[in-house]
Amino acid sequence: MDKLRQQALDYSLGILPKEEAILFEASLDVDDDARKFLIEAGEDCANLSLLASPSEASVELRHRVMENSAPKKDFNPFLESDVINRLRYNYTTPNNRYTGGGGSAKLSEIGVSAVEDRLEEIYLDLLALFVLVGGNSAAAEGDFGELKSWIGQTNPLGLGISETLALPLPGEAAPAQSARRSLLAALPSLAFFVERVGDGSATLADVRRIFYLCRDQLKIMRASFSDLDPAKLADDEELRLHGAGLLRSKWWGAEHAYFSTNGKVRCGHFFEGPVTERCVEFAEYDSNIYCLANLLATKSGNGEFHLELFKDAIPSGVLAVAMAETSLENHVKLENLALGVGNNGHSPANDLALWKLVESSLLRGNHEISAEAIKDVPVLGCSRFEDSTYLWFTWPSIPNSHEGALAFTGNPEQ
Amino acid sequence: MPRIENEIWTRIKDGDSAALAELYDGFAAAMFSLSLEILRDRWEAEEVIQDVFSYLWRKPEAFSPDKGKFSSWLLVLTRNRSIDRYRSRKRRVDRNESDDILSSRSDQTQPDAAGEAVSSDERAHLRLAFSELPEDQRKALELSYFGGMNHVEIAELLDLSLGTVKSRIRLGVEKLRYSLTSLRT
Repeated sequence: MDKLRQQALDYSLGILPKEEAILFEASLDVDDDARKFLIEAGEDCANLSLLASPSEASVELRHRVMENSAPKKDFNPFLESDVINRLRYNYTTPNNRYTGGGGSAKLSEIGVSAVEDRLEEIYLDLLALFVLVGGNSAAAEGDFGELKSWIGQTNPLGLGISETLALPLPGEAAPAQSARRSLLAALPSLAFFVERVGDGSATLADVRRIFYLCRDQLKIMRASFSDLDPAKLADDEELRLHGAGLLRSKWWGAEHAYFSTNGKVRCGHFFEGPVTERCVEFAEYDSNIYCLANLLATKSGNGEFHLELFKDAIPSGVLAVAMAETSLENHVKLENLALGVGNNGHSPANDLALWKLVESSLLRGNHEISAEAIKDVPVLGCSRFEDSTYLWFTWPSIPNSHEGALAFTGNPEQ
Repeated sequence: MPRIENEIWTRIKDGDSAALAELYDGFAAAMFSLSLEILRDRWEAEEVIQDVFSYLWRKPEAFSPDKGKFSSWLLVLTRNRSIDRYRSRKRRVDRNESDDILSSRSDQTQPDAAGEAVSSDERAHLRLAFSELPEDQRKALELSYFGGMNHVEIAELLDLSLGTVKSRIRLGVEKLRYSLTSLRT
């Protein structure tokens, strides 16, 4: 009896060896004592939980949690469209998954010292900022003093993004693309929220947003420049699954900004499970989502846009979609980018750069598809339904992915 | 114990968003406190709470009343997801602080945000009972419940036999149970 009781407690604590856990689970169907002890162990664990020091979550967490119960946007018209059907029937995953290195350059290869210096400064600033906004920082407890003081002493990140972009970057080669990615993907949003802290209007939610943006920006920069931080890059290249939950945590109910434009993000169709295998791959994925979000942020008619991940819409692919209500005029601007007529001088240079960044990343992620074949297998596109623009891309799914990439306990429900 | 009845689960299962809000308002603070105790990282603890509520909304059938109290199930789920994250993080960075998990936060004087959900009498009683446990039992319990260590790891850390670790944890748990039972009856 004591052994059964011990097993029930260990099972509840998630430390019963797997084979014993399977046997214990089987015994629950037939053994009243096993069931009784399991309930008792659950109660014991609940009692232990009450020993935790009382703490209060941020007000914003409630909004994010309640978004779960909000009605989901109907994406079926888009998912049943001709272009998505074409993708559905023609898409195949590459034999070898992206492991990093593609599109990466050396910082010194940019060849414009002002850009090289600025990027290095930004990276070093972000390393310092990351510590100040971590989940165990004073700022995370609502004390912004140290963070604000640091921002006051440091060149605000926002200063110089546009100026740096205006410098003559060398064409479309990898060094220039890496510089644009480092300056345009997550950095404008990060600079926006840092400025909020600087001017004293930031909330805890803004600090949390800075944390995620900072983490992503650091990874994106490391993946972009192989000589920026080789030791950390080597760690980023290690096999480590990244779940859709990571994207949900930071996008669900978030505010997103692109330079001076900001809007609310809505989600609803995210799934549980991994989307990428390594940090360097996740940096590509993340950067693509930021780029699409940035493209839509300035064109949304109501200041809102949706970000969604669909696991089963494309066999062996995960479909990422950014959608917003747009005017026809704004939609045409985006459509021109997708049609390749964005470089005729009518599209803002940054919009074109954002689109090109996603395009080149998708050729890396789906590296067995040539640039010419993309018309038949449209891994990236822009569509319109009713009064909304849909920007989307497909990334290879991870085969045999288990549900809940972050769940390691043998039986997390218990 | 938190006053969260199984009835609220039935309503969530039926898609009642007001029930989800009620559950959050009455119980999220207790869940968050637990997760923060384990992870000591506010953003990660918030992620866990977000994940747990999302999971519950999508798969309410993961719980069933024959598993016991809904509140206990939620706390154990929160604890296990927090431990998973902690272990995942620990694999990457050895934080080297595994033997003082609970006591390092004991001097916090934050507002009793979980007070709505948890009777302060019960919590105070439980903390007192915990502090009165023999130190070896207390340590083993801390390492197991909040540190997510298994028996072998605890045995190695405390230089004890496996059997001793198991019995200390079990005895500690039983003493706390009897202590609370006496309060409630």
